[in-house]
Parts: sequence; structure tokens; C-alpha cells
Amino acid sequence: MDYDVLVVGGGTAGMEAALSLGDMGYSVLLAEQQASIGGTMILLSKVFPTLDCASCIATPKMAAAFHHPQVTTWTSTEVDEIRRDPDGTFRASLTRKATCVDPAKCTGCQQCELACTVAIPDQFNFGLVGRRAAYIPFSQAVPKKAVIDRYGDSPCTFACPAGIKAHGYVSLVRSGLFDAAMELILEDVPIPGCLGRACYAPCEEVCSRRELEGEVPIRLLKRFVADRYYAAHPEPAYGAPEQRRDGRVAVVGSGPAGLAAAYDLARKGYSVTIFEAAEQAGGMLRYAIPSYRLPNEVVDRDIANVTALGVEIRTGHRVESIGTLESAGFDAVFLACGTSRDRALGIEGEDQEGVVSSLAFLNRVNRGEAPDLRGKRVVVVGGGNVAIDSARVARRLGAQSVTIQYRRTRDEMPAFAWEIEGAVEEGVSFEYLRAPVRFVGENGALTGVESIDMRLGEPDESGRRRPVPVPGSERISAADLVVTAVGLETVSDLWAGDPRVGGRGTIAVDPLTLQTTILHVFAGGDCATGPTSIVAALGQGRRAAYFIDCLLSGRPLDGDGYDHRLAPVSHEVVLGRQASYRTAPADGKRERPGEERQHDFTETELALDEQQARAAAGRCLDCGGCCECHQCLKACPAEAIDFSQRDRVEQVHIGSVVVSTGFHLFDALRKPQYGYGRYPNVITAMQMDRLLTPTRPYDTVLRPSDGRIPESIAYVLCTGSRDCGVGNDLCSRVCCMYSIKQAELIMGALPLADITIYFIDIRAFGKGFDEFYEQARSMGVYFVKGRVARIEEAEGDNLALVYEDIANGGKVARAEHDLVVLSVGLLPNQDALRLFSNGDLRADEHHYVLEIDEDQTPARTSIEGVYAAGSSAAVMDIPDTILHAASAAALAGAYVERLKA
Amino acid sequence: MSSRRLGVYICYCGGNISDFVDCERVRAAVEGEEGVVIARTPMFACSDAAQQEMIDDIHQLGLDGMVVASCSPTLHQLTFRGVAERAGLNPYLYTQVNLREQCSWAHTDQPEAATRKAIQMVRAGIAKARWSEPLEKIRVQTVPGVLVVGAGIAGLRTAVALSDLGLAVTIVERSERAGGWVAGFGSMYPHDRSGAGLVAEALAEIGRRDNITLHTRAALVEKSGSVGDLVVVLDVAGERVSLNVGAIVVATGFDTYEPAEGEYGRGLAGVLTLPEYKGLLDGSEGPLVVDGHPVSSVAYIYCVGSRCESCEHGHTYCSRYCCAAAVHASLVTHERVPGVRQYHLYRDMRTYGKYESLYTRARQQGSVFLEFDPQEPPSVEAEGGTLRVTLRDLLTTGKELTFPADVVVLVTAMQPKRNEALNEVLKLPVGLDGFFKEVHPKLRPVETVIDGVFIAGAAQAPRSSAESVASALAAAAKSAALLKKGSVQLEPLVAVVDPAACTWCGLCAEVCPYGAIEKVLYDGKEVALVNEVICKGGGSCVPVCPYGAIQVRGSTDAQIRAMIEAMEIEHV
Repeated sequence: MDYDVLVVGGGTAGMEAALSLGDMGYSVLLAEQQASIGGTMILLSKVFPTLDCASCIATPKMAAAFHHPQVTTWTSTEVDEIRRDPDGTFRASLTRKATCVDPAKCTGCQQCELACTVAIPDQFNFGLVGRRAAYIPFSQAVPKKAVIDRYGDSPCTFACPAGIKAHGYVSLVRSGLFDAAMELILEDVPIPGCLGRACYAPCEEVCSRRELEGEVPIRLLKRFVADRYYAAHPEPAYGAPEQRRDGRVAVVGSGPAGLAAAYDLARKGYSVTIFEAAEQAGGMLRYAIPSYRLPNEVVDRDIANVTALGVEIRTGHRVESIGTLESAGFDAVFLACGTSRDRALGIEGEDQEGVVSSLAFLNRVNRGEAPDLRGKRVVVVGGGNVAIDSARVARRLGAQSVTIQYRRTRDEMPAFAWEIEGAVEEGVSFEYLRAPVRFVGENGALTGVESIDMRLGEPDESGRRRPVPVPGSERISAADLVVTAVGLETVSDLWAGDPRVGGRGTIAVDPLTLQTTILHVFAGGDCATGPTSIVAALGQGRRAAYFIDCLLSGRPLDGDGYDHRLAPVSHEVVLGRQASYRTAPADGKRERPGEERQHDFTETELALDEQQARAAAGRCLDCGGCCECHQCLKACPAEAIDFSQRDRVEQVHIGSVVVSTGFHLFDALRKPQYGYGRYPNVITAMQMDRLLTPTRPYDTVLRPSDGRIPESIAYVLCTGSRDCGVGNDLCSRVCCMYSIKQAELIMGALPLADITIYFIDIRAFGKGFDEFYEQARSMGVYFVKGRVARIEEAEGDNLALVYEDIANGGKVARAEHDLVVLSVGLLPNQDALRLFSNGDLRADEHHYVLEIDEDQTPARTSIEGVYAAGSSAAVMDIPDTILHAASAAALAGAYVERLKA
Repeated sequence: MSSRRLGVYICYCGGNISDFVDCERVRAAVEGEEGVVIARTPMFACSDAAQQEMIDDIHQLGLDGMVVASCSPTLHQLTFRGVAERAGLNPYLYTQVNLREQCSWAHTDQPEAATRKAIQMVRAGIAKARWSEPLEKIRVQTVPGVLVVGAGIAGLRTAVALSDLGLAVTIVERSERAGGWVAGFGSMYPHDRSGAGLVAEALAEIGRRDNITLHTRAALVEKSGSVGDLVVVLDVAGERVSLNVGAIVVATGFDTYEPAEGEYGRGLAGVLTLPEYKGLLDGSEGPLVVDGHPVSSVAYIYCVGSRCESCEHGHTYCSRYCCAAAVHASLVTHERVPGVRQYHLYRDMRTYGKYESLYTRARQQGSVFLEFDPQEPPSVEAEGGTLRVTLRDLLTTGKELTFPADVVVLVTAMQPKRNEALNEVLKLPVGLDGFFKEVHPKLRPVETVIDGVFIAGAAQAPRSSAESVASALAAAAKSAALLKKGSVQLEPLVAVVDPAACTWCGLCAEVCPYGAIEKVLYDGKEVALVNEVICKGGGSCVPVCPYGAIQVRGSTDAQIRAMIEAMEIEHV
């Protein structure tokens, strides 16, 4: 056996059981879900009836358990499953959750906490204040080590094909750390300026905020960060890395895929040369995307991020064959030559003057050789983004009319909705369900387009309904220019005979490594995938760089560790964290008016200013917890932060199990008539206990609505207890006493405050309890017998309690207070019941772990060798918990003795 | 002269100290003292982080002594000795100063004076630490056996649990038979198990274990030796038996309160205590009959003998078990006597936790609950062969109600068991309520200040049978923890005699309350010798020695003198 006993849960009961067993000489594994042991007791102010400070009682137990030579403590550990073996021993499977901090290195200095940009409601302060995603649970935590809350990947970060930590830079913008945001983006990609303008932003499509008033404008935040940075840094602030590596890499093509690969490889220290057939670098970024969407200066500045690393871009250099690169001494080649040719329609008249392909058209315009289209009638054929771009450019060149002919309906159009809307606003007209059959000309010059109506037939292999011509519907409309934009394809003839060309004219590659059939030749981006998007091409470039590095450094190309993403956190989980959300009004249009912009090539989209950017970023819901902004990495002096940590499953063989999983607090939201969550000055007793601790959030007792010191405080006992209406007809045993304790402490802290306790019965039953109750009465705490029916808001954020005044004739009475404390009850934690996979850990009728023989062997459960300690079996106060846990230890020890006999 | 390198830690105790004592001023005052290498002011000196900091200081600064000025040594002396030990320092080079109980809490109204006093106290602590010497603990082999006093349900279950943990057990029971109160009960709450049945089962289990000896009509009459190695003398049916054990568990149970004549009609026919009524319920079958009269109505009066400061009995405490026990008795009655009318006259219905279900069931069965104000207790009078109960019921708008009852059950308190002879032997302290007092209800709930003596069951506080068993098993776990290691380490802070200076006048032996000093021959002369295992380090021997030949380790004359001198230094 690995350990004699596994103790599940490191609260009061678990620590006591572990200590008792350890002292008897048994080896113990103490497993705790949270990052610190100590359970609820360590969070309390003082404890009844002795008024010892809870820290003074709990900390020695915590330290003693943690340092006990016989006790091994695993925090941040979930017990997943326990199986009982036929020989009476047990096998447990535990998940040691990744905390992203190496506890051996962490010194508990809290620098990460100061640097962290994500705020999360502090569960150890019951939501009264926030804490950071990187945090030490509380000041007396054992072990006192930082942990980072990562619930998974934020959907935005997960969705980015280029692996950009979207949540990270949004969070940095929120914190005003704009340069750090830029640096974070540059950790992953070199072209934030282009992405900030022309990315289709898959991150925004999955933003959880969409479920409320609308997504966080993540792309525009990137543009804000990049523009601001570029204004201050006309040139990159870095040069080539000092650490060089052997290996020269040739990249063919300087579009997004090529730039991304070159950037990643150059940063690793490789010598990279990009070969570009065109006169200038940038590929589609420069030549296809119109400048009203993406100005050339932005492309230039983005590309400087790559060249600053020492990457040479040889423009105007068409690579004729891979052999020439091999003989030039390159160790690896990345083909990223894109899709540089429009697909032909294949209809009559396509070759005549007046019919141009979209790339040729856009390319000319971007090169500054725009034709004068004033007074001309332009027809654009196609339904993709390039078609829309062509139409909107034609409009800007003065065309009298621009018509887009598309053979399906708007619903099937591949172009983005906002692009279509933009075109409509700029006066572009659309002819849906219509396709050209012939371009009509005179003397080799175009005069018109003969087109035909279409109807939608059966779905094709892409899932879209196939357009079918309607015979007899042909007609000719006049046109001076036709731009064809029906898809792009790669120019594959360059590679004929070398890497095998796959279907539809793309290069065949291993989808994981992007390796072609030639070992050291990789291909990616549109030339391998067909036309996609900038950000997908960047992802391909990064993927190629990763595997080229593997190849050149002699590591296996098995892809282990390539995808370091965690599972994304679902919207339901995110939105379920809060009962309600305050929503901001939806963002208005962020474009210049269509009337104005259709005449020029100035950017159509308006940038965010600093205030707008921070406000927008402030709407982020921090879906994944940690945003991976990496500020903690920079701040940690011990280099203890490790984002590569992953959950680890451990199997242990043990002799006996003590279940000490504690209780849940009653959720006061389930008692809506008491107004918790609706009235700010209705708080729970656990929150009040935090307000009374030495390490309290506000250093005094304040009421939440206005931070005023309360003068008249009411306690509502039995909130969630002795109440069939909420499904808990049991008494919670501790609420009377903790309320009296708090009343006594408040009388010390706020001598002028009146305290009234509304009760049914005062259950001061334990040793010294009734004396404690009498002491509170003699101190002047008012006790009113009567159940509170409801709480209403009164003037000045005060609260009116409606109750049955039993001592005065049983009439319904009202009383006003300025702070109400709900003495919430305790409920069973049913997690324990699911632990055992091949045995039935039975529950009693109230869902606590059943003690099968409470009269003779308390703590014994329905599984032999399994013992329930403390509130897992029935809620109990601390003294009873300690006795009960020691009982469990005595029985578990005896069981181990029998096993060993 | 001492050349110790000290670390001094002045704890804020999260405000318990720092709210009244300016800890930073204390630190500033002492940080230049001779021997002080580092002085710090942690928020909680006992927290793991602060402990780690001390260990780091000891290693990095080469400390060979430390002072923590925090709370009472009873709370944390062991904690900080453990810190020293983990850092490789002899634990007796650690000195604790009790700033909380002896300064900040005592002078909450005079922060300035409290701060000055704190400076003096810390200086004294530093002086003491500078003269501290490394000491080794005294190791005593333990005896793997336990004496359990009392064979009620708690004692019997303690014995079974200890036996199962591999320890031999001897039980002494004063009365003729084992089983205590529980043996006399039939159905008990909360699981309707028969008390007699539970005792029978426990006795059967004991019978199956050959390492348990049960003596009835037996008592503990003498105890000597030290923790882990005690010699006890038993009187077993008039015969003295001596026995060697490692620990003692006291499970002597409780007495039930006997109401005074006339208290709630006590003395009238039909007025019974709850145990009497339970005896009637459990000991008969068929229709319930009291004094020849069939019972068709029962009134229970709660809190008789409990929760009353001004009463003759003086019990201010709540007896805990009685609400649930009375409600349970009424449930049995409802079942037994169909159509019975039952009235419960209570103050607060304390059916805590899961026992709430019993209360609910009793109401469903038709029991009527009436609440009285203790200032106006109900009255019980005889009237024409029956009893008449009168009270002002707070639940019926404070109306005065009168109703007849065939039986009035006085729900009587638990009170401490009288056992002067045992108290004489064990000298266990009791609390204000008269029950045996634990060291600390949360930290050490079954231990007493007498090392090696544990308490269990209702001898410690009113409890139900099941709760008594839980505390019995806890006492078993804690006494097993003491004995299963095979040896126990005792404090070396004991008296030591300088035989060269001693002339054996015998004064020290006379004043020693523990009989730890004996006369021996040393170098041909008679001198005193301290039995380290028996000595408690109390120090009454020190001032009576005319030659200064006896000292207590850890509080030597040199240390005390240095402390006094340190306190005379002018304040900063």
C-alpha cells in the first residue's frame, strides 16, 4: 500500500483525522480540492463559545498536518474515483490539478498576484471583494503558494487559428497596459496592424459577451493597440536574436503564411530568406485587400516586424524550382505562395477587353494604377469577399453603377454580412440568383453581359443548394466592365514534378506537420488549403515553423506538445457564474457614413480611442479565468510560473478511506423573499464573519450600499434551515451560535450599534453555549422570537423586516434596520456519495453519508473500511467535528490493523 | 557571557496584539539589543508562511536562539518549538513571550502603557533566550495498556476501540454491573435502538477480545508514575490490585438531576422525572398505567434543573440531550397509547441538527407544544386524583392555559457525577458547570491538564449516548496516539540538584508536591536527587534550598536574574 489511509478533504475534520492517524503511526494521504487546507474554520473571525480567534485554532492544526512526518498533503487535488479491492484495500484515482505554479520554486511573495490582470470574486471572502486569477488563497494559507485559476481556454483564445492570446491582450487593454498588449500579440504573430483591420475575427464569433449585449470588439482592440504602438514606434524596437541556430530556411511567398513562418523561425535563431515574385512584400495583404480596409503603410509596418529580425525578403524574385533553393544551400523550404490566380468562368467572351479578374483589378488599384471608371457600368460576378471588395473599389473609382451578380441568394453568399451591408450602403446593387452565360462585345470590346436566372436545386457536396439555370430567362444587360471573382486558385505549374499536387490545385501536405512528400519541404497557407483567411494562413505559417524547427533541431515530428490549448470554457458555465449581469448599450456603427466613404480610399472603419478601448475591454467576462497575459511570468522572481503544467492523474493504493468532505452553505438566493442579491444591505453571515476577521476586506464592518457603519443590524436565523419550502427541514446546528458570536463581536467593534436576532428557538445546546447566549443577552443583544416572513427595501437603502411578533401577541410586525445578516444554514455536500465506483456509499434520507451504526461506531459507513468524519455525516460545530473526526480515525486505524494482521 | 544570535518575532496576532500594542515600536526598541540579529513583526507568527520565514532566518542568519512574542505558551509554545526543530535548532533555545493574554488583552484601555510593558516583556524574553541552554527530552518507554474508569456506554466503547488498535485495556466499574444509564434504557433516540441491547452488544464484543479485562465493584484508588508509564492501584471487590498502564481514560458519566420536593409538583403522585418515565415506558407493556391509573394525557416540563442561574441547583448550562430525549419519549408514548394527549412545556426547543425530524414527527402525531417564560414557570397541582398544569403560553398570545394531565414528566438535567474518591486520586480540574474540563474544546478536546489522563462521554459535558460514544472513540484515538509509538518524550524542564553544593537538609523533598525528590548517596555523602520522570518543574524546591543547590532547567537563576535586569532598562 502507498498509504494506510486516504483522507478526502482537508477541512477541520480532515485535518483532525489525518493528525490523529498520523500520531498513531499510520501513514496518511490528505487530499484537498482547494489550494489550501483549513476548510471553513480558517475563514472565520472567532469561534464560539470561547471566542478564540479562529486563526489561532486553525493555523496550528494546518501547519501540524502539513508538516506531520506521517501525513502527505496534496492540495488542488480532486479525488475522482475510489474502488474497493476484494482484499479490503482501496485504489483511488486522484487528479492533481495544474496550478501553473511550481510549488517547489514559489516563495509566496505574491508578485504574480500584483501583476495579474484578471479579477475574480474572492471565494474565500464570499464574494465581498475580488481577487486575482493568480493568487494565494488567504494570508494564513497552508501551503502558502500561489496558484493560477485556469478553468480552460477562453473561447476567443481557443478559436484563434493563429494561437493569439486574445483574452490576454483584451485583459491588458482593460488594465491600460497597452504596450504589454502589443508585446503579447507579437509573441504570436507579426502583423497585428493587418489583423486589427482585416481579420474576420473568429474570436468575436465565440465571445461569451455575445450572449448578453454583444461581443467584445476584440479585433478593433488589436487595431487600437497596434496603431498606438506604431505611432510611438515607427520602427521595431528589437533586432535579430543574439542566439543563432544552424539552419537556413527559404520561404516562398510573403503573404501572411510566409511572414508568420519566417517570424517564428527567425526568432528561434534560424536564418530565413523570403522569396517574393511581386515587386513588394505582403501578398494578398498588399495586393488584394483594398486600402480603404487596409492601408499599405500598415502592411509595411507589420512587415518591418519580420525584417527587423534579420529576415531578408527578396522581392521580384520568382522561384523557378525547389532544386534552385537546395543548391543555394537552404536546409528547409516553406512554400507559401498562396492562390495568386482567379479561377476562370469558362464562358464565351471572357478573354475580351473589359473583362478582368478580380485579383488583376484589385492589384492594379493597389499599385496605384487605378482605371478611371467615371460614368461606367460595372458588373461584378461572384459572391465572396473579393467580389464585394471589387465592387466597393469600383464604386470608389467613380463607376456610375456597380452590380454584383450572384448565382445563389444572399443567404448562401460566402462574403461576410458586414461586407455586404457596407457595399449596399455604398450604393452597390445586387442581382441574386443570376449568372452570366456570355460576355457580349463589339470589336473586341465589352458591351454587355448576357445572364440567366437560376433556382436552387439539391444541395451539393459543400452543403449549399446547387444553382440550376432556368431555361429561357436569358437577357442581356449593358456593361462597360466586368470583374470576375468566382474563386482563387494556386499557380501550381511551378511545382510540377516536385511535391505532388493534390486535388483542386493545392499542394498535398501532411495535415499535422505540413510536410510535403519531400522531407525538408513544407507547404502551408492558401496554396495548401485553398483560399481561407489571413489568420488561418498565419496559423499555417506558425505550424510550419514549429515542425521545421523540429526537423532542423532533430526532434521527432510527432506533434507532441504542439497544441497547448485547454478545452474551451462554455458560455453556459461562464454566464452561470453570476445571477445577473449589467449590460452596456450595444456598440453603434463604427464606420464612416456610406455616402461619404464611397468616394475615397480612406479607411472606412473608425478606430477606438483609449477610453472606448478600455471600456470595451472592460466588458470581457474572463471566461477562462487566467487570460495568459503572461504578466505573472515576467513578475515572478523565482521563475515558478509554468503554463505548460497539465492536470496529472495519480493512482494510489490505500488501506482505508476517511471521507471528510464537509458541507455546503445554503445559497441565500434561494430565499428570494429575503432580498439577498437584490438589496445590497442584505448579506450572509459568512460575509459578516469575513468582515469581522483580522484579515477582513474593509478593516471594519461597513454596509455595502454606501460604506456607512451600520447602526441597527438584524440577524435572520434559520435562513435555509427548518424550512420545508427550500427542501431543508433540518436544523443546521451552528447558526444560532455563530450569530450570537457575531453579535458579541460587533458589540465590541461597533459599540453604538443595536443588534437584533430574530429566532424561532435559540439552540445553545453545547458545552458553554447557553452561558454564551446569556452573556450576549446581558450585553444588550435583542432577541426577538418570530420568524421573518420577508424583507422589503425601505428609505435610504434600509430594510424593513416583516415578522410574526410572538412575544407580543403574535401580530405581524415591521421593523427597520440598516443592515440585515442572513444566518444561512448548512447543507450536505453530496460529492462524497459519488466517489466509490464499485461500492454503495449510502446516504441517509437527508443526503448525508449514512452512519450505519451511529450508536456504537459513529463515522462507520455502508462500505467496510470507509469512515465519514465531521459534516459529511451530519452538520456539526467544531468541537463535535473534532470528536467525530477522531472517532473516524480510531475506526480507520483499527481497520488498517485488521488488514495488516 | 552568552553569545547567542537571536531572531525576535513580535506577532500582530491579526490585531489581537497590534490593536493595543504598537508592535513596530516594540521592534524598534529591541532590535538593537545585544544578541538580536533580526527582529520582525509578522501578522500571524503561527501561520505557515511566518514559520517558514523563521526557518529561513535560522538558516540564513545562523541563528541559535529565537523569541516569539505572541500568545500564551499553552497555545503555541509547541508550535514554535516545532519550528526550531524543523530548522535544526534545539527546541529549548526557543523562548515565548505572552504578549496577548498578559499584555494586549489585559490593557485594552491603555495602549501606551501596554506598549511600554510589551517592550519590557520582550526584553526579558530576549534576556532569557540569551541564557537558554539546549536540552534533550526525557524519553520514557510507554506501557501498551490503558485503564478505563467507568463501564457505561462510553467506557465500554473506549475499551473496544483501544483493543482494536492493539492496546490492552482494563475497565473498572464502581457499581455491580456494567452498562451505566444506557443499560437501563429501552428505545433511545435517534435510531430507536435499545440501550440495553447496545450494552449487551458491547459486552459481547468485549468478551470476544482477550486483551480487555472488566472489573465491576472496582475503583481506582491510587495513581503514580508518569505519563506513558503509570502505576495504578485498583480496589477490586475489596482487594487491592496494582497495575501498570500507559494512560487512563475517565468515562464516569453523569447523574440525573433530582428535583426538590415541590419543584413543579415533585412529590405529587404522577410527577415523574424523565428517567423515571422512561423506565416506566421501557419496563412495561400494553396500556400505560401510573399508580394504577391508565394514562391518557402527559405533560412534559422541560429544562428542569438546567439553564437557571438563580435556582438552587445553580446549573446555568443546557443539558443538551433532554429536548430530543423528551420528544422521543413522547413519540414512543404516542405509539403506545393511541389518542393520548401530550403537552410539551418548553423554553427553546433544542432538537438540533437531524433531531429536528423527531420534533416534526411529534407535532405530526398530535403533540402540543407550549412555550413558557422562565420568569413565570408553569405550576403543577393535584386536583381530584389527577394533576392540573397551568402556564402562560407565549405561543397562544401569552394566554394563561390550564389543563389536566395524568402524568407530568419533569425533563431533568444531567449533572456532574459525584465521585469524591476518584477526584482525590486523579485531581482532574472541572469547569464552572462541574463537569471535567478538557485542555481546549477544539485543540485538545479529550485531553486533560494531567498528562496521560483523558476524558470521554458525559463526564465531560451533557451528551447523548451516540455522542458519548463518539467522544469515547476520540479518547481512544488520542490515547492510542500517545502509546502506540512505544515511548513518550517528557519535558526536560525539571529540577536538577548540584550534588557538590547539596548537604541533604531535606527541605526540598518536603515541599515537593509530587514526591519527586529522594535522598541518595553521592561521593559518600547524602544528597537530594530529582526523579526527572516525576518532577513537573514546578520549582517550589528552588527557593527553599539554603545553598542554591537546586535549579529548574529553563528557568535558572541566571535566566531569571537576566530577565529582571532587562526589565529595568529605560524605555526607548
